[in-house]
Amino acid sequence: MPSLSRRDALHLLASSVAATMASCTQPTNEIIPYVNMPERLIPGEPLKFATSVALAGYGRGTIGITYEGRPTKLEGNPLHPASLGGSDVFMEADILDLYDPARSRAPRGPSMVNSWDEFLQAFEAARAHAVGNGGFRLRVLSGRITSPTFVRLWQALARGFPAARWHRYEPVDDDSETQGLKLAFSRPMLARPRISDANVVLCLGADPLGPGPEQPALARAFSTRRNSEKPGGMLRLYACESAWTLTGANADHRLVLAPAAICDFALAVAARLGADDGSSPSLAFKKEVEAVSDDLLAHRGHAMVLAGRTQPPELHALAAWMNARLGAPIDYIEPVDTVPGTHAGSLAALEHDLESGAVDALVIIGANPAYDRGVEFSHMIGRARLSAHMGLYADETARACRWHLPMSHILESWSDIRGPDGTASIVQPLIMPLYDSRTPEALLALVTGNRSPRDYDLVRQTWNRGGNGDFESWWRGAVERGVIEGTGAKPVTVSAPSLPQVKPAGPGRLVVTTGPDPSIWDGRYANNAWLQECPKPFTMEVWGNAIEVSPEDAKEFGIADSKYARLTCGLAVVDAPVRIRSGQAKGVVAVTLGYGRVAAGPIGDGVGFNAWPLWARRNEPVSLSPIDSGPATHTTFGHAVLDEADDKLFPRFTLAELAKLRRPITRPESSEPTLLHTPQPDDGYAWAMVIDNGLCIGCNACVVSCMAENNVPVVGPDEIDRHRDMHWLRVDTYQSGEAAGLRIGFEPVPCMHCEDAPCEPVCPVEASIHDTEGLNVQVYNRCIGTRFCESNCPYKVRRFNWFDYAGYQAYADMNAGTISAQRNPDVTVRARGVMEKCTYCVQRITRARRGAEREKRMIRDGEVVTACQAACPTGAISFGNRDDKHSHVVAQKSRGQHFALLASLGTRPRTTYLAHVSNPNPVWDKTS
Amino acid sequence: MSGLARWLGSGAESCSRSNALVLDPLVARRSWRAWWIAITIAFLWTVTFGVTIALVLSIGIGELGNNTTVVWGFPIANYVWWIGIGNAGTLISAMLLITRQHWRASINRSAEAMTLMAVSIAGLFPIIHLGRPLYFLWLLPYPNEMGIWPQWRSALIWDFWAILSYLLFSIIFWYTGLIPDLAVVRDAARTRFGRLFYGSLCFGWRNSARHWRIHQRFYYTMAGLAVPLVCSVHSIVGLDFAASLMPGWEEGIFPPYFVVGAMFSGFAMVAVLIAGLRWGFGFAPIITEKHFDMIGRMMLLASLVLGLTYLTEWFTAWYSGDYAERRFTIYEMVGRYAPEYWLMICCNVIFPQAFWWRAVRQNIPVSLVIAVLVNVGMWLERILIVWTTLSHSYSPTMWTAFLSTAVDWAMLGGSLGFFAFLYLCFVRIVPAATMFEVRELVHERRQELKA
Repeated sequence: MPSLSRRDALHLLASSVAATMASCTQPTNEIIPYVNMPERLIPGEPLKFATSVALAGYGRGTIGITYEGRPTKLEGNPLHPASLGGSDVFMEADILDLYDPARSRAPRGPSMVNSWDEFLQAFEAARAHAVGNGGFRLRVLSGRITSPTFVRLWQALARGFPAARWHRYEPVDDDSETQGLKLAFSRPMLARPRISDANVVLCLGADPLGPGPEQPALARAFSTRRNSEKPGGMLRLYACESAWTLTGANADHRLVLAPAAICDFALAVAARLGADDGSSPSLAFKKEVEAVSDDLLAHRGHAMVLAGRTQPPELHALAAWMNARLGAPIDYIEPVDTVPGTHAGSLAALEHDLESGAVDALVIIGANPAYDRGVEFSHMIGRARLSAHMGLYADETARACRWHLPMSHILESWSDIRGPDGTASIVQPLIMPLYDSRTPEALLALVTGNRSPRDYDLVRQTWNRGGNGDFESWWRGAVERGVIEGTGAKPVTVSAPSLPQVKPAGPGRLVVTTGPDPSIWDGRYANNAWLQECPKPFTMEVWGNAIEVSPEDAKEFGIADSKYARLTCGLAVVDAPVRIRSGQAKGVVAVTLGYGRVAAGPIGDGVGFNAWPLWARRNEPVSLSPIDSGPATHTTFGHAVLDEADDKLFPRFTLAELAKLRRPITRPESSEPTLLHTPQPDDGYAWAMVIDNGLCIGCNACVVSCMAENNVPVVGPDEIDRHRDMHWLRVDTYQSGEAAGLRIGFEPVPCMHCEDAPCEPVCPVEASIHDTEGLNVQVYNRCIGTRFCESNCPYKVRRFNWFDYAGYQAYADMNAGTISAQRNPDVTVRARGVMEKCTYCVQRITRARRGAEREKRMIRDGEVVTACQAACPTGAISFGNRDDKHSHVVAQKSRGQHFALLASLGTRPRTTYLAHVSNPNPVWDKTS
Repeated sequence: MSGLARWLGSGAESCSRSNALVLDPLVARRSWRAWWIAITIAFLWTVTFGVTIALVLSIGIGELGNNTTVVWGFPIANYVWWIGIGNAGTLISAMLLITRQHWRASINRSAEAMTLMAVSIAGLFPIIHLGRPLYFLWLLPYPNEMGIWPQWRSALIWDFWAILSYLLFSIIFWYTGLIPDLAVVRDAARTRFGRLFYGSLCFGWRNSARHWRIHQRFYYTMAGLAVPLVCSVHSIVGLDFAASLMPGWEEGIFPPYFVVGAMFSGFAMVAVLIAGLRWGFGFAPIITEKHFDMIGRMMLLASLVLGLTYLTEWFTAWYSGDYAERRFTIYEMVGRYAPEYWLMICCNVIFPQAFWWRAVRQNIPVSLVIAVLVNVGMWLERILIVWTTLSHSYSPTMWTAFLSTAVDWAMLGGSLGFFAFLYLCFVRIVPAATMFEVRELVHERRQELKA
């Protein structure tokens, strides 16, 4: 579109949306005001409901916070095994998807705007036509669907249409793992590592701490074993990887290896564990192999080996064999996913049917193969007599299909879903469907002949079969808790795995590795502005992706940082910007998936480049050549190379060094003598926060959670390029060391709430002031925008509204009505020209105070949970009353590794840190 | 030429001739072509200034190049620079009056006018730079129902009062010196409107001995008050930075350093303006090479003091042993803004060393070039104070550079255009040199010749 710029298009779109939204009409039915207040509902007091959201088809339990029937925030459900109270960026951002004005609102068909009835007529016609020709060959293509109700309805449908088939295809598949375990155990299996029972973990390209459906649970398990004080010792993590992952960054020892070398390394370790295949460990890593193998063997029963998603199946089988040798704390369960076979195989079968014209009707539910499989699939869709796409958005696949049907967002739906461990939970809606949409379950019911299906009844029918006795009270409990107890898959006993034949991968000069994007996963979150603007770990890149290469390769191929290159892999050719990454294996090109959407919506269209053609060719040789520049890349703040002399910003200790520390690096500020005036709390509260750098895995959940809770606006790539991001909380990434010893550490930086805050005396109008409980508060109404406060802030945590970011702005969807419905009513939406910053979630403190005052008691320790703290899957953030000597935050502050950021400035920050503590293998240090 | 004679050239031998010289542009019919061309250009830039201000006020200060780390930018630098220029007018006038430097006679009027205009323009910038400029009055301790007062610990409040008092004072001081001359214009006016206009402005000045006695006593008293005020206004501007926590700002040397810097840029601007008067109005008889000689000496002195200040900054950064200070100073010298930094050192310290030579000081075109360079250097100094510290303070993860926009530059250019516009109006309406003091000088020279 050369004549119409992206921004113009957004303007047009938004004004058309605004025009339709503005036409408010009286409801047709009688509306009734609250003469009698509904029970439990107090205006202004939020209600919390347990439900689940999905990632890659797996349910993650969540608690939805709603104000007067309007959900505004999602938090992890502590009872749900896939959340355990923590969340990740995707769970936090799901709420924005619910309100996305770009969601599709009505069925579309041959005459553009159609109704569900018209679709059903078309479907009936196709069925009637096909039945005469020997069976209705209906094909349903979906992502991973674990809903028991869906499965039940599918079985009912399959009974009616025996020729119908359900194909399941998750773009980011786990085929390698399932095939590998099938190799090892001769039956399909899923591995569930119990990291909390492990003392030593070796990751072979695996990224358990990285993005994925299990990130919150695995990170929580990891954190329980990374506490330097807990008896039983700290877990030791080894990572072999080709490109940076969160696991590698958090590992005690990280080995940078090309994919082929990971295979060699695994074989060498296996040989030391007793796999007598005669191959000798490659000389380059002999000592490391010995150190790792000895450590694994020394912790027999508490040691495990994990293989990565993109590793070949044989390596997974080898890992299973090693785990059996080690007696690893790993459970094996039957696949949660009921569709047999691999994802790739399932899709290939469908493609074959389409090609041969053997499909009467194709219904695609929630998947977007026209994007992730490419245009070829769009052409195949045309071979089906009837094609329909059901999804949240009228995306690339919707364009290729005859029909598009709007799908209800999971937060609008009655449904059920299983977590990665099989635990089922009831999905209850937090809001009525905003548009004329239906759930996938309702669609199945519709096409099987139930003309007015109610999701609620469909779900209840599923669960009301087993004779649960008092079903109503059972149902109430299940819905209330968000988890159905005892539905988790039971570990099965497995036979001893066979030792697979692993053929060492052929060495290619340059191979490509791909994986889901840490911000937008496989592309399904491309239209989510919070996630687009969520800085990727390490690179801080936003609004796009890049080809990541090692400095050695960049030099060899003559490619400069931020310049463009052409990546050729067989027939796939990708032109994209390059980012040079120290600490990436030589000979490896890394790209993330999910970008380059063309029909994602106004936010996600045309952002980044599409790397899906490379997914199927991962670990294959590629060639790289520099080309003329393209559009710029966008990077936020937050990455720094740590100066040797400035290491007080991110101190590091090993367990041994920590033991030698006699007292905290920085004593708690309350015990420091001072001549300065210090605020004396008059009501017994002095709020303080401690952030454990050792537990921060850099996942960004806190960043997105803060945006959701505090109405933090997005600014868009243009403003990011002018260094004007608005995140109240940033995760600083410090890089230290060189080459193989390169280390990366994460340090979340919210406002420090200094007792002697430099921002306060400089404000000419007292908009930045201290309250009696030690909060450094910003009075938006009083702020005139001199920005002296941010000038004088040593931590640079304040953010300024250079424009009306929260208002009429393209990347805020022009403040469409639905977007403003997401706003937290307890937090002011800031105007143009005022300064804002972290408030310690003062609205949550106030809410807790209201509750405490009603009951005439003090606020209890742990009663106030800030949004970042609630989101953190590892519990790295603790918050509480520093004047309560028994509070958790006081205990944290008295630990040896406690330190204050830039303590020498005398600002006496209330937010303090626990230094990073690692647990390196002493033998390893001697070897290198 | 020795004594007072060097301050007067041929054409200003008598009181009436010197009066005529100054009055001629105001009352005589003459060609104003050059003036019209100049004021047209200045007007266009003034419009640019207005447009950029309107843009910033209506869309937001995001139109400027500031960012989350470098939250201050052009408006603050422009403000400090204009205040500095505004400083010199009253300083020259008052200090030279008290020390009875007769050569001030022909330049003090335009220097004081320069002060008024520069301070007025400077006063606009802190308001433009605000996120919510409509509430700038909250800096005032006005009575309100909330009982809220400004924050007296903030240097910005001190600054606000310093500028306000300095501006009010400068207006009074300038006008006091103007009264006798307005009477002369009234007497020389050829139209009834001119007589009424200037007559009402001169407060019924009758040139009586009593009037002169009161005038001179008041004028000298004001001059006595002016000197501390001149020092206070720019040292308080210095405190805007010094009363902070940031490396490169928290320096005790800032207040005197800012006063000297202000004097430096002010003298440079005066040199530019009087060169214009001398050329445009034929003021050569009363603005001689000797005037430029004196201004050159002052600029040389100021540049040496500034050079010393830079050395002191480097020394203290090293001597303090403070990591952040040292890192800052190294960044200053070799970092992102190093080209601007070394250009600034050249403009402020190296180039003015040419003034050691009398031939340079008395060569008006060369003096003019150096004066312009000094002003460029002083602007760079102000922008670098803002940029360097903010770009590179304590949190390395937040380090970034300032990316200026067209609006930034247009606003700076516009403010210069607006200044030129005001100045051109001033010379068209008001006697551009102090006639009574020039007459006094002519008279005293005659006495000297007789003796």
